[in-house]
Amino acid sequence: MIEVALHKDVYAGEAVDAAMKQFARFATLEPIETASHWIVRVTARSAARERTIAGELANHALGGSAARRSAVTS
Amino acid sequence: MAALPSLPAELASADVAAGVVTLTVRDDVYPLDAVFAAAFTFIKDCWVVVDRGDASHWAIALTPKTAGASAAELEAWVGGFANELLACAYRQRLAKDNRATVEAVTNAALAGALGPPTLDELEDFDFSNEAFEDPLGIAQSWEDKYGKKAKAADPAPADATDDDGGAP
Repeated sequence: MIEVALHKDVYAGEAVDAAMKQFARFATLEPIETASHWIVRVTARSAARERTIAGELANHALGGSAARRSAVTS
Repeated sequence: MAALPSLPAELASADVAAGVVTLTVRDDVYPLDAVFAAAFTFIKDCWVVVDRGDASHWAIALTPKTAGASAAELEAWVGGFANELLACAYRQRLAKDNRATVEAVTNAALAGALGPPTLDELEDFDFSNEAFEDPLGIAQSWEDKYGKKAKAADPAPADATDDDGGAP
């Protein structure tokens, strides 16, 4: 199991949700919300797979957050 | 986390065993949009996570997708990211500073070289909706303009007269 912590100042909740939907078929994803972070707990068949899925999920959430931010500011 | 030889320890540190390098930058110098823009250029080769280092800093963690990166490789990645981040921040600042100029130039280009009409031109402008003049008969129908001519064999109308006014 591996955890990805995504800060709420940076990542939009909708973008994290969209990323989780995108990668849900590759691993078991469990969302946890804290005061400052969206935390996604990733469980997959192997540690390497967990690392890859966690990293790609973070990239996906980053892209989604940036797109939402630019849509709001423009 | 270990410091990297070519970068200050308070700015960058690496965890070679985990294959992660972290860059810490001030958020007033590097706005979040610049961080996003720089991160976009690296997401093909790295996993990027942006976090709050503290209340005034961003902590950007780069993990190269190819496992087993050495300390030197991690240093190269974070150095490249720092350069890209600086370029994005500067580009964003230029765009912000020149926004009014760009908008003025674009408006002038779209409005045309003549610029807005003067008050005299507006005074002379005909706002009425009267029918336009048609000296060439362009707006006439075909029948009005090329109506059927009377045949020569046709009997003249009863009230027709000669040129001299007498009976035909």
